[in-house]
Amino acid sequence: MRPPSSLRQEFLKKWMMGLQRYSTSKKNMSILERKKAIKLSADVAIASARNGTTCWSRALIANGYSKDGGDDKHLVEQILGPESERLIMKKVLTGGASVCNKRMRSKKILKRSCGIQRTRKFAPQVALASSIAKRLVRKRTQILRSLIPGGEFMNDVTLIEETLDYIISLRAQVDVMRSLASASELASEP
Amino acid sequence: MATRSNGTASDRGEVEVLESLQFTDEIQHLMSAPTTDNAGFFTALLELPAPQAVQLLHSPESAKLIAAPVPNVEDFKGSFHFPSNSGLIERAARFSVFAGEGNNNTKKSNSPETTSNISSANLEKAVKSEPAESESSQPLVSDPTVEKRSIKRKDREKKVKESKKKSKTAANESSEDAEKLPYVHVRARRGQATDSHSLAERARREKINARMKLLQELVPGCNKISGTALVLDEIINHVQSLQHQVEFLSMRLAAVNPRIDFNLDSIFTAESGSIIDCNFPSMVMPMMWPEVQVNGNRQQYQQQWHFDALQQPVWGREEVCNNYITPENSLLSYDSSTNSVTLHSNQLKMEL
Repeated sequence: MRPPSSLRQEFLKKWMMGLQRYSTSKKNMSILERKKAIKLSADVAIASARNGTTCWSRALIANGYSKDGGDDKHLVEQILGPESERLIMKKVLTGGASVCNKRMRSKKILKRSCGIQRTRKFAPQVALASSIAKRLVRKRTQILRSLIPGGEFMNDVTLIEETLDYIISLRAQVDVMRSLASASELASEP
Repeated sequence: MATRSNGTASDRGEVEVLESLQFTDEIQHLMSAPTTDNAGFFTALLELPAPQAVQLLHSPESAKLIAAPVPNVEDFKGSFHFPSNSGLIERAARFSVFAGEGNNNTKKSNSPETTSNISSANLEKAVKSEPAESESSQPLVSDPTVEKRSIKRKDREKKVKESKKKSKTAANESSEDAEKLPYVHVRARRGQATDSHSLAERARREKINARMKLLQELVPGCNKISGTALVLDEIINHVQSLQHQVEFLSMRLAAVNPRIDFNLDSIFTAESGSIIDCNFPSMVMPMMWPEVQVNGNRQQYQQQWHFDALQQPVWGREEVCNNYITPENSLLSYDSSTNSVTLHSNQLKMEL
């Protein structure tokens, strides 16, 4: 399904805004640095299109914010725009991250303790088809959690919703980037 | 009927209202409104394409997606937690009413007025653990309505057997009586327990299954697969491929320019000389550039690509790119992507 053009336009706008920062600051960047800068600004742009309503977008922006260099912070702030958004993001970044970490830690402890109990009880049981299926599904959901940014903090239901939204946003991102790449390559042909 | 529904001010009240079959005018709306197959589990949300559904969930654009205004639901807009979802809820509500239309006069409620209408044997159709869940704040208000429908549908099927065999009526009645106190009248499925834990479990599973259906619609090629693990496999592959594409494309973009300046204006002017033939005949957007036939090496791609696309009324690229080509196949996409670039840049120009 095609992402709506409004999403793509918004992403393009914000991405260009972010990229302009780089064109003014440094003059010589290696190709890897450029690639990192492009990818980072693209990620922050597509995340800001959701404006903090989804978990993955907050996680992406938090990633962009906490990475090396004050450059990235300014980038995030520039992309996010006006003061109000920045305040919201700061709340999200400072408050949400710590809460999420605590929640995650307590969840892990709980799971570990439950897991120990489970193995003790069910060790002699014959492997039923249903339990095999459940194990497979659990493995897959774990992999999916590692893929979606901020996925470790979500429960199952939220994970699937976030995946939905994340896929659509990723598609928009890929669409726009591909068009820009091929257009630039055409434009730079002698 | 409006007053009765207005009397119950809680979430439960909304649920009752939405399920009540007394809204004859709503039913008339539904009769006239175009509906997809009723057998679909998730038709309310899937009648819209999935991204629109997700858009509804996330953005306050519901206004344009509300097909036919349902007057009675307007009263409850204030009580919704997320007014932006009201369009979605209306649609879901309409479908739930339509779906339940076959069983006339089988709506539950705890209000004394309606119980008189309902025969005791044919009771409570409605939602069970929903109140328990709706108490907790849900991110999507559409959940209750969708799940209601799903649970209602399954219970309806079960109930047919039950009413015929009458094996469980006694047990059900007792369970109903036991639970009469807070709110829920539960129609237990055959062979299933009615305690709150399993109900909550069941509701949660229904939720997850509903979302998985949406995901299946979204990810291409998942429709035919049955089984959660395989579908999840596909989803994981899809997400991974999209993420790889982003990496690859950012590398391409880094390679194309010595400095990071994607000057859109320069791209536009550079392109005006060699514009691809626009293969989308019914494009509405104002073309600012003359349509010139493309140079030879692209035509072979065009032949492969656009024969179907020509028939498409709108962006043929949409159909074509449904497969979400991997980077190896991206050569084939040059045509359509450049087409889209011109259209894209048109959009940008219009916007800027």
